Amino acid sequence: MAFTGNFMCTSFKKELLEAKHDFTAAGDLFLIALYTNSATFDASTTTAVFGGGNNEVADSGSYYSGGPTVANVLSNNNLTNAAPSSSGTTGFSSFTTKTFTSATITARGALIYNSQAEGGTTDTNTVCVLDFGADKTSTSGDFQIVFPANNASDALIRIA
Amino acid sequence: MFEFSVNMPKDSVLVDVKTTNKRGFTPEEIAKDCVDKIMTVSNNAHPAIREQANAFKNSMENVIVDHMKQAISSDRTTVYNALIDAGHPKLAELIRRL
Repeated sequence: MAFTGNFMCTSFKKELLEAKHDFTAAGDLFLIALYTNSATFDASTTTAVFGGGNNEVADSGSYYSGGPTVANVLSNNNLTNAAPSSSGTTGFSSFTTKTFTSATITARGALIYNSQAEGGTTDTNTVCVLDFGADKTSTSGDFQIVFPANNASDALIRIA
Repeated sequence: MFEFSVNMPKDSVLVDVKTTNKRGFTPEEIAKDCVDKIMTVSNNAHPAIREQANAFKNSMENVIVDHMKQAISSDRTTVYNALIDAGHPKLAELIRRL
């Protein structure tokens, strides 16, 4: 079991057509969960899973495990939506840099999921699987995830 | 029929993960990321324009570093006074000397 690359989840593509995801600044609350390389996710991953039994990394610093039913996850693992935009024939959106502080974490990848996709506040509908390419480790320090520039050729989410 | 493509490259590393060991990021490290977000200089740009753009980028980075250091210093003053007010003068002095 291991991360095998980046994937846009197929369920997310379907849910885009069902208007379940709002990436505007005041839109849905997207969250990120970090996992060890024992996790196995791909395009067929429809819902985020949590906790050590599912290979999520443990609480450390400002990172909290356990998913959106944990209040600290909602307030600490949240991503800030970069406003959707377009250029040429491509629509795109992304997130701003996320930093978990004072954290001792080793993670190989992440899931981004939408906690409000079904109209609730604790939903777990996946958006994409991110493979960091190698284990990344912070030790009593910062664990920072820098998303690509929000433009038509680099943005994390692009519809062409 | 209209066909949209919503995919991401499977085998590229899309996000840049940066970590630190027993410290936070320095103003210099953050400023570099900051200017990289604000400005990109095309490798295909005319050499004279590219040189000018890179010089401006370096200048911008230095300005950001300077202001970030001022912000940190100013915030330490705020923290110092909060700790003094809370009755922790030794801790306040420790923060001030960082």
